[in-house]
Amino acid sequence: MSIRKWVIGVTVILAATWHVRTADAAAGLASPEKSVVLIRSVKQSFNRRTPWKTRAMQQTSGSGVIIPGNLILTNAHNVSDCRYLELRKENLAQRYAARVLFVGHDCDLAVLTVDDPSFFTDTIAMELAGLPKVNSTVSTYGFPIGGRRISVTEGVVSRIEMDTYAHIASGGHLAIQTDAAINPGNSGGPAIQNGQIVGIAFQGLQEAENIGYLIPTTVVRHFLDDIADGNYDGFGSMGVFLFSGLHNPSLRDYLAVPAHEDGVVVTGTMMHSSLESVLQVNDVLTQIDDYNVDNDGTVRMHGLRLNISAAVDARQIGDTMQLIFYRQGKRMSASATIASHRPVLERARQYDKAPRYVCFAGLVFVAATRDFLMTWGPKWPEKIPFYLRYLYAHSNQLNTDRERKEYVVLSAVMPDEVNTYAREFTQLVVETVNGKKIRCLEDIHGEFTRSTEGYLEIRFMGHDRPLLINANMAHRRQASILQRYNIPAGTRLEEGS
Amino acid sequence: MRERTQQLILLISMALACTAQGAHVESVQTSQTEIMKDSVVCLVISAYRYNVAEPWKHRSLSDQWACAVAVGPYQVITTAQSLANHSFVKALRHGQAEFVSATPKVLDYASGLSLLELDPNELREPLKPLRFAKTYAQGEAVTFHWLSPSNGLNSGQAYLDRARVQGVRTSFGRRLRYVIANASRKMGIGELYRLGSTPIGIGCWAGDNREADLIPSETIARFLEAITADDTYQGFGEIGFASSELRDPAMRSFLQMPGAMRGGVYVANVYKLGTGADSLLKGDVILDIDGHTIDSYGRYTDPIYGPLSMQHLITRKGAGQEIPFGLWRKGKHVKISATATSIKSSEMLVPFQEYDRQPEYIIMGGFIFQKLTREYLLEFGKNLAGQAPSHLYHYYRDLAFKPTDERPSIMVLSHVLPTPMNLGYTGLAELVVDTFNGQAVASVADIVKASQLRPNAAQHVVEFEMDAPTLVIPRKNLAQIDAFVSQNYGIEKLSNSHE
Repeated sequence: MSIRKWVIGVTVILAATWHVRTADAAAGLASPEKSVVLIRSVKQSFNRRTPWKTRAMQQTSGSGVIIPGNLILTNAHNVSDCRYLELRKENLAQRYAARVLFVGHDCDLAVLTVDDPSFFTDTIAMELAGLPKVNSTVSTYGFPIGGRRISVTEGVVSRIEMDTYAHIASGGHLAIQTDAAINPGNSGGPAIQNGQIVGIAFQGLQEAENIGYLIPTTVVRHFLDDIADGNYDGFGSMGVFLFSGLHNPSLRDYLAVPAHEDGVVVTGTMMHSSLESVLQVNDVLTQIDDYNVDNDGTVRMHGLRLNISAAVDARQIGDTMQLIFYRQGKRMSASATIASHRPVLERARQYDKAPRYVCFAGLVFVAATRDFLMTWGPKWPEKIPFYLRYLYAHSNQLNTDRERKEYVVLSAVMPDEVNTYAREFTQLVVETVNGKKIRCLEDIHGEFTRSTEGYLEIRFMGHDRPLLINANMAHRRQASILQRYNIPAGTRLEEGS
Repeated sequence: MRERTQQLILLISMALACTAQGAHVESVQTSQTEIMKDSVVCLVISAYRYNVAEPWKHRSLSDQWACAVAVGPYQVITTAQSLANHSFVKALRHGQAEFVSATPKVLDYASGLSLLELDPNELREPLKPLRFAKTYAQGEAVTFHWLSPSNGLNSGQAYLDRARVQGVRTSFGRRLRYVIANASRKMGIGELYRLGSTPIGIGCWAGDNREADLIPSETIARFLEAITADDTYQGFGEIGFASSELRDPAMRSFLQMPGAMRGGVYVANVYKLGTGADSLLKGDVILDIDGHTIDSYGRYTDPIYGPLSMQHLITRKGAGQEIPFGLWRKGKHVKISATATSIKSSEMLVPFQEYDRQPEYIIMGGFIFQKLTREYLLEFGKNLAGQAPSHLYHYYRDLAFKPTDERPSIMVLSHVLPTPMNLGYTGLAELVVDTFNGQAVASVADIVKASQLRPNAAQHVVEFEMDAPTLVIPRKNLAQIDAFVSQNYGIEKLSNSHE
């Protein structure tokens, strides 16, 4: 059985029924209407194959909570690809236009504000608490489906562990699992314990009853600390691949790990990471800052046994962490700089930015990303062309080109006499143009611009035959192709909005 | 003779319009069927294939039946597909209640044909062999005949719709097939098809829409001829290159082809195996093969079949025959001769099939090493490109016909049977073995040899591709652990090597 996480957004046209339960005042809020708000947004994302076009508009609603500084904390997925945003307080007919100040898609959090100061009249800003105890009671507040007023549900904290955040569907952070009913529309609403926020509702589990997830305040604080300088940088990593198999005594002997040490085995490092030239395959990482690493790749934090990435999550991008590791029995140390190590084929979903593209001779090129691959529909991992699947799964290992920034795909062919025979090449990854390696969209744009005579010889990865385009004709046809297909520009090399 | 028969059928057909139709059809079919009673047999085949996911086991025993056609007093042919992974074959002759033992003599999964010998001592009367002649008449009515497992002799009618080059179900290749359409009843495998009185082929595929493919008489005749001529059957030529259409004027101009030059296909890739592998070059343009002009779609006009894929010009040749090629190479006309070369599945870097034998594997300390084959990949689902692990499928898709002396095949750690020895490693699976004790390995025999290296080392060390962890297997107590694996998981045989 496949188990999928879902983000709790809901369209505003859902039918309303009343199922409000009474909150436990001891655990929850006496006046939730002073802190919890309804968020309505109009969203519009981009077509990833012909990226100058936008997709159909969508209206969604979610919840948010007022925090100090006249700010509203909510989920990123409530405001992603947002074109218009408005807030409503309970018991008040007026709606307020709002704007996004900061959004962290990787942690599914956003901070909003309302320019009309009257919005904050008679409101109570909520404070953040620490991590709740497992088996303690929490109350969740929000505007889920089934009614128009604030809903409160109560449940216990079932477990706290690292988990995938479904909004970007890649990587994970600490998450609180609860059995409090969390339904579409609850997203962004607070989970309260002793009058303080202990989490932000953000996703649930399909094929299960009453399994909901909260973003813990450790992650919220990381986000708020990050934006304090006016920029959101996001969560980073050390850029190292680890194997948690040191339970095996033969492996321990082979790697000469002292008997008193536990740790994880390095199997590789990411290109450009600070550890790339420091760590080697089969080094054994035993300590990260003050945390001893267990054989199963966990460290003890917050009184819990958490994956080692929890320790990294506690740091901001640019911070350094001190590592102790063993190399063939020799104890060594190193510093790791936390950075945003992204694979050349982006595995996380992306929002708010118009995709970059190059359209020349009716050939549309985009960067291969998860969002592009998802255009094949719900079963995209099986439906996408093989070579894209191969690169998606193994780009970290397959890419040996240090200058590569992305993989460039021929995403569409806008038919014209200059590209009559190009259709069979769609969805292939460009390797070279006229013998020059294509490492990013800028490269392919540059080659097209430079080549005005002869042929453009475009070669693709995993495909034996080149595509030939008459360069002179391509330049002559460019304007009319853009006009015929209402393409506003031949390129968009900066991510727009 | 054939024309007279066709005329007779035509006259009868015309008479049907004004007489009692059913009675006449019955009488015609009965007489046609009677003629075939000594030439068509039914085979009941028990198949017992191995479980590729757990190669020490068989899958469930299955029985199927297929038709076969007499080509000698005690010899019959049927499709190779019917006999894949057979454990026992018995035959039923019309009019004889008892089954007769049948022994496969030649199995050619590339052409899709097999030859079996029936026990002369068990067969009451010899069969009446049929002679397959190269006959083709597009659009003509054909009759098909089969003997059912209940010893019922049956016939049906259909039309010979067209000839095409089609993928072979038991091989990577594509071969000439006749397409039969509008059948009066559902067709089956191994059935005999006749045009008039002339056998023209046996059924090798039947669809739900009453359409079927035949292995044509041309292929059957060459198959039988090759067997008769030489006991060491060499098979047919296989394609040793990949080609693609050459319609794009820009591409033709890029290849310096004169504007007046028509046709030709682009050689996009040249393999290490098969016809042309040692003589064609990537970037060549094939203009003609064996005297036939090739169009830009890769077709030629066959004097009998009409437009047909050029692949037939190679796959129709017996291995060892010379095939002349006319090429456009680097702006010049070039003539070359390529020897028709067959490809054994076992020669491929990732074999297409390994029918009739146990997959190669070895279990050491609970770690299961297997040879990568297409059948192994099929364990993940029929959609190999979408379902098989991409780092494994890559070897099949891009390199299957490019084995090298250094790497003739691929070994993988398929999965791990938990034992006290492999604690911490039990989650490993689908890893391509790079080296074993520092030695590149491509077979179970290689692993066995490599395990004898570094005899004084405390462990065997296995390295994998793709940033996978190093596998360390202690030598001490390995025999005990293997005994544990054998007993605990009920595995009698811990390895199987093809060498």
